[in-house]
Amino acid sequence: MREGAGPWLGAAAALVYVVLLAPVAVVVFIAFSADSFIVFPPSGYSLRWFQRLWAHEALMRGLSLSLMLAGIVTIGSLAIGVPAAYAIARAKVPAAGALKAFFLAPLLLPTLVLGLALLMALQPLRLTATLTGLALGHMVMTVPFVIRLMVTTFATLPDEVEAAAASLGATPWRVFRRVTLPLAIPGLAASAFLSFLLSFDETVISLFISGPRASTLPVEMVRYVEGRTDPLVAALSVVLIVATLFVILVVERIAGLARVVGR
Amino acid sequence: MEQPLAARNHQCALTRRMSHLTLNRLSKRYGETVAVADVSLSVARGESVALLGPSGCGKTTTLRMIAGLIQPSAGAIEVLGVDVTQVPAHRRNMGYVFQSYALFPHMSVAANVGFGLDERGVGRSERDRRVAAALSQVRLEGLSARKPRELSGGQQQRVALARALVIEPDVLLLDESLSNLDARLRDAMRLEIRDLQRSLGITTLFVTHDQTEALTLCDRIAVMHAGRVEQIADPVTIYERPASRFVAEFVGRSVVLPVERSEAGLVLGGRPVRTAHPVPESRALELFLRPQRIALAGPETEAGAHNRLGGVVRSHVFVGDRLEVLVDTQAGRVTVETSGAGAVAQPGDAVSLIWSPSDTLVFARAAP
Amino acid sequence: MSGRQREQPLRGRLTGLALIAPALVLLGAIYLWPMLGLGRMAFNETGSTGAMAPALSLATFRSLFEDPFTLETTWNSVWLSFVATLLALVLAYPLALFLHRTQSRFRSLLTVLAVAPMLVSGVVRVFGWLALLGDRGLINAALMGSGLTAQPTRLVYNYFGVTLGLAESLMPYMILALLAGFGRLDRACEEAAATLGAPPWRVFLRVTLPLTVPAIVLGFLLCFVLAMSAYITPKLLGGGRVFLLATEIFDHAITNANWPAAAALALYTLVLVLLLVAAYAALTRRAEA
Ligand SMILES: Nc1ncnc2c1ncn2[C@@H]1O[C@H](COP(=O)(O)OP(=O)(O)OP(=O)(O)O)[C@@H](O)[C@H]1O
Ligand SMILES: [Mg+2]
Repeated sequence: MREGAGPWLGAAAALVYVVLLAPVAVVVFIAFSADSFIVFPPSGYSLRWFQRLWAHEALMRGLSLSLMLAGIVTIGSLAIGVPAAYAIARAKVPAAGALKAFFLAPLLLPTLVLGLALLMALQPLRLTATLTGLALGHMVMTVPFVIRLMVTTFATLPDEVEAAAASLGATPWRVFRRVTLPLAIPGLAASAFLSFLLSFDETVISLFISGPRASTLPVEMVRYVEGRTDPLVAALSVVLIVATLFVILVVERIAGLARVVGR
Repeated sequence: MEQPLAARNHQCALTRRMSHLTLNRLSKRYGETVAVADVSLSVARGESVALLGPSGCGKTTTLRMIAGLIQPSAGAIEVLGVDVTQVPAHRRNMGYVFQSYALFPHMSVAANVGFGLDERGVGRSERDRRVAAALSQVRLEGLSARKPRELSGGQQQRVALARALVIEPDVLLLDESLSNLDARLRDAMRLEIRDLQRSLGITTLFVTHDQTEALTLCDRIAVMHAGRVEQIADPVTIYERPASRFVAEFVGRSVVLPVERSEAGLVLGGRPVRTAHPVPESRALELFLRPQRIALAGPETEAGAHNRLGGVVRSHVFVGDRLEVLVDTQAGRVTVETSGAGAVAQPGDAVSLIWSPSDTLVFARAAP
Repeated sequence: MSGRQREQPLRGRLTGLALIAPALVLLGAIYLWPMLGLGRMAFNETGSTGAMAPALSLATFRSLFEDPFTLETTWNSVWLSFVATLLALVLAYPLALFLHRTQSRFRSLLTVLAVAPMLVSGVVRVFGWLALLGDRGLINAALMGSGLTAQPTRLVYNYFGVTLGLAESLMPYMILALLAGFGRLDRACEEAAATLGAPPWRVFLRVTLPLTVPAIVLGFLLCFVLAMSAYITPKLLGGGRVFLLATEIFDHAITNANWPAAAALALYTLVLVLLLVAAYAALTRRAEA
């Protein structure tokens, strides 16, 4: 027994990393292929699939819809989730525990079941395949998520700091604005980032409630991959991965990523 | 691993005089940090040695190297003259009592104690017998079915001790094993461990930062400082003849006074002062005295061959078992410890401080 | 609740209610109401023309249970989820243990790397597996290039490919669950076992593994539930040749537009998962005691 992990465990871990990261790595590699389909090794390397990407109308429409949708969902989820989380964490409502359990319940249900239920509820209201319908559908996931994250954030804020501010003469609203909110910034950043990502990547619920009128990027990608496998989706994936990395770096600066994934 | 008892006894007789455990210039570095530097130590069979030193001086690191839990960067560890530096922990046969006890939370007390016997392939009935014996040794009969979390701190400590003793280890290693206990339990456990160690005649290395523990529990003390051993000696020598300024300061209380070197000898507060011990080369010197070795006498008392320093009593502090008298002298303020019995000089009285040259230690002044 | 709350003035209560009302209304409308609707839908009937007829009958459930195909897909789903979860566990365990033990400076980076696939769209990762396992994918290219095989080996559009892809998608969740549970694992306990004479593999069997059983159980349950309801991976890596409860529910709902059947199958799956989880939890609790 030695300090650290030891060579055997290290070797095993390296092997697992390969399995874990292989699909993403291979996607990045394929994206620069010059061939018209997936071949190993590629006959050449080029950026043509990235150029083709901008010209692909369905995917680009999906991308802009997904970005807009994720933005709306993020704002809506924070606006609705943060006050609720604050009320629960500070026990400003009766039966806070039961309310929390109710709010977190959707996170325990398979998205497949949620998607099906949403389809059946939104179709009669003619809300499927609309921005409103999709936003509502995604918020089933993101609002509980924000509530869970923010309840933890508020609960770990020291109670006394707020009391101290109040004793210095701040009104409850000003205590919240000048003390609680600034302290909760890392949690808020994490909530916003993860809501955005959750909505942007949400596939199953979207598959149920998308339609020709409005369909998100993941739905378009599923359709594309079902049809054929050429490097176009790989190029799109690279763009998405780079964008995600960029956002992660930004959030890391604000909130510390370890805390974000540690949830 | 397990030697027949006869062979052990034979070897024991042969090697009684020989070192049982030897550390030979043991070092451990972590990158830039040197945790342990050039530690050499030899422990005789049945002897109990304390590693004493302030937090972070490398005591645990030394102990873990001996147990084989970490690999030294340099140096060797020998048991009975055999180099075991490369032997993995599970084949070293050393009992280790961890500071946190490290009891297996998923096992009963009996299973905890029997763990090492299982690993040695000891049969069921033999194991149960030895576990029961070990538990009664630490006075824990009747608790064998409990889980560790159902025990008090002192009981957990005893289970850890029994678990380490039942494998009849070559060497017993204890890492600050008493520091989690309250003061009274600590005193009791200290005596218990010492009695057990003596009656079993087991070679023991005991890590502590508590000097009382080291002074009362061990045959010899190795005082460590910043990864090095500053002095190895029996408790009396450590206390009376500290080999370095660090040891003098770390073990026991001291009066420290600046002292000058002149043509004729050492000068303290304008008066010559004698020491029976060597004086370091350095120009800036300090004089170390144990406060209870200073006698208070009338202002004009003749000191004879002893050292004398005049002063005025400033105040008294009663500390329960003793009385501390603060005296302002030419050389600075001095604390004198007396039993408090009999007539005591009152504040404002002129007094003489008198002490023997053999109680006078001189070290180089610490860099400011 | 604390005394502080009981003394709360009316105004404070109203504020609390105002804070929580939007979330209550929203989730009532988009979660509670649809779920009730789903439950109700399963008791409607489907006429011979395929048109839905409002009713309160068990006809849909009856035809569901009379269909031998239901049993087959159930078995497929449970077995595939079990194998994929087990595979995820076997792969994630050493990685999690490594992350728990390593003293590398890059430890937090390595942890992020291990769960980073979670942040990449599932579709992207499925596409990666297609590129790896497809007939002209990396593995077949390597196999044929080295002369080991002459024909492409079928690695995808079958149960093998789905299991592999599913296991990989579960791994980040498994790693997180294991890492959370490894907090209980005290390094000193493992070291104590070593000093008592246990060689590394015995330390693992007698100390490390038993202490991590709760983490394993938790990770296994979480991932099994996720696997049972996974849709994208089986859909795309199964290529229509892998029949699972999840794919059937979707087909009923979208392709056949048979909502009562979809609702009934969804409820059936939900109950199944709950029962399996309860049974597994009870079993492991017995084993632990
Ligand atoms: N794994 C490690 N990596 C880096 N430095 C270490 C490591 N272990 C110990 N050290 C350093 O080595 C030095 C000695 O540590 P050690 O634990 O031996 O001290 P100690 O004497 O047991 O102290 P304490 O009384 O506080 O337990 C310390 O400065 C410590 O910071
Ligand atoms: Mg220590």
